[in-house]
Amino acid sequence: MSKGVLLFAQNNHSIDYIKQAIFCAKKIKKHLGIPVALATDNSDYLKATYPYYEKYISHVIELDWYDCTQKRTYRDGTMSKRDLEWRNHDRATAYDITPFDETIVMDTDFIIGNNSLLNAFNTDQDFLIFRHITDLNMDRPDEYRFNKISDRSIDMYWATVFYFKKSESMKRFFDLITHIKDNWNFYRLTYQIVNKTYRNDFAFSIAIHILNGFQRTNWPKVLPGRLWFTSDADVLIKLEDETYTFLLDKKHWVGHYHAGSIKDANIHIMNKFALDRFIDEDLVNE
Amino acid sequence: MSKGFCLLAQNNSNTNYIRQAYALALSLHLYNKDQKISLITNDDVPTEWQSVFDQIIPIPWDDNANDSDWKIQNRWKVYHASPYDETIVLEADMMFTSDITHWWKELAKRELFVVSNVRTYRDEVVTNRFYRKTFDANELPNLYSALHYFKKGDTAKEFYNLLEIIVNNWALFYSKYAPNEYQKWCSIDVSMAIASKILGNEKDITDPNSFITFTHMKPLVQGWYNKPEKWTKVTGKYFTEGKLFLGNYLQSRVLHYVEDEFLTDELLEKMENGTTLLP
Repeated sequence: MSKGVLLFAQNNHSIDYIKQAIFCAKKIKKHLGIPVALATDNSDYLKATYPYYEKYISHVIELDWYDCTQKRTYRDGTMSKRDLEWRNHDRATAYDITPFDETIVMDTDFIIGNNSLLNAFNTDQDFLIFRHITDLNMDRPDEYRFNKISDRSIDMYWATVFYFKKSESMKRFFDLITHIKDNWNFYRLTYQIVNKTYRNDFAFSIAIHILNGFQRTNWPKVLPGRLWFTSDADVLIKLEDETYTFLLDKKHWVGHYHAGSIKDANIHIMNKFALDRFIDEDLVNE
Repeated sequence: MSKGFCLLAQNNSNTNYIRQAYALALSLHLYNKDQKISLITNDDVPTEWQSVFDQIIPIPWDDNANDSDWKIQNRWKVYHASPYDETIVLEADMMFTSDITHWWKELAKRELFVVSNVRTYRDEVVTNRFYRKTFDANELPNLYSALHYFKKGDTAKEFYNLLEIIVNNWALFYSKYAPNEYQKWCSIDVSMAIASKILGNEKDITDPNSFITFTHMKPLVQGWYNKPEKWTKVTGKYFTEGKLFLGNYLQSRVLHYVEDEFLTDELLEKMENGTTLLP
């Protein structure tokens, strides 16, 4: 059974997800030691700009380019923000395009810092995903938006990172996600999601809820380890070996921060601009 | 040993509890085979509603709730009025949504059982203590009388005899056993909890991990960030082909819907016309 990680990278005008993917793959190689496939709609850019990419990426999968109609707000701390294209509609194709029998799919801004995810390959489950995040910012207590997809709706699962094994049931699962994506307006209204933006976390959560017979069950099981989380209101200020230091947003004190560090963790860094600044430093000698 | 469900219902100026009791009985028969349910009441039960009940029993002795609008003063009489050896007692504003006949086997292991953990409509254990301040402040057993079981015998009789005394002298008992966060009205939950505390039988009569529980629709315990005055104002209900959905969730537990608005004529009609879901 082949095993590997699948990443998706589709740039917009300001964020170089392909560069993020190379950094992400570098960390995967270091901590997990398994091959990485990159699905992108701009492989020419990958090959021209990062000619060393094959050190970290073993498979490149071409995605169709399409006009993006949805935007989201990307922040760089609490004082700076930009509305940019958000190309995130291809996650549902993971089942069809992965070159592996067993695949971990992750966001390119989910940075691996230990090998705990390798344990995902040692279970009898065909799907594993995080139900909860662990927020590095203790000043941001549990909020319903992290726990439910809307206040009165269903449990939130985080499509940031998940594991799946090819099987009939997983094929049905991904077909269902495609159906939800194709009928997003209906599903977002049914599940009381105010924002019109398509979001993989929501589509996965809805698919899980439907396959569970519209009830809570003990499926799916959670991934090993933790999904550490920082929001784009937090700012990465130092990256030294495997220690990440952030300015963490103080709730109710806009523009004020407190410092926090984490070491050897698998962490989702939502502030892409801050992450990008440190990736530039890290990749400079490649 | 005869087994059956029992409820005591009395209409008041706002709510037709007999109608709720009728809907409860309808739902019982919709999902559960060969089950009996008896209604204890002094109110008139329309002829067309009577057939769903095994027996319609007058409230024993005097009506202690004659002067009250929240008519709970007769609840302790269920033990004496139930025609069954084993009884599951329910409140009128409840509804079955699945087959629970396997409960009898589990309940038979006990003389008395009272639910002590309840669920939200999303099937999460209720952890919000908004309605349970008196219980916490006075270390009372966390009992929910809306669904409980008794087997006729010395244990249950002793419990109900004490419950009778507490209900009839509630202010005295509450001031002695529940002086903190003092509740200025009599409730069966608090009265049962005091009875259990006096008898020291909490471990014998309840189990917070039991699968015997119900969905409690009080709006402030649903885990909502924005708390509405009434859950029926913010949550859709859908009853099709015998399946009840609240919001995005299929219901499979006994539903304590609390708000009479839930039981619309349309829902009642669907239940009346519903074909049985029994195999």
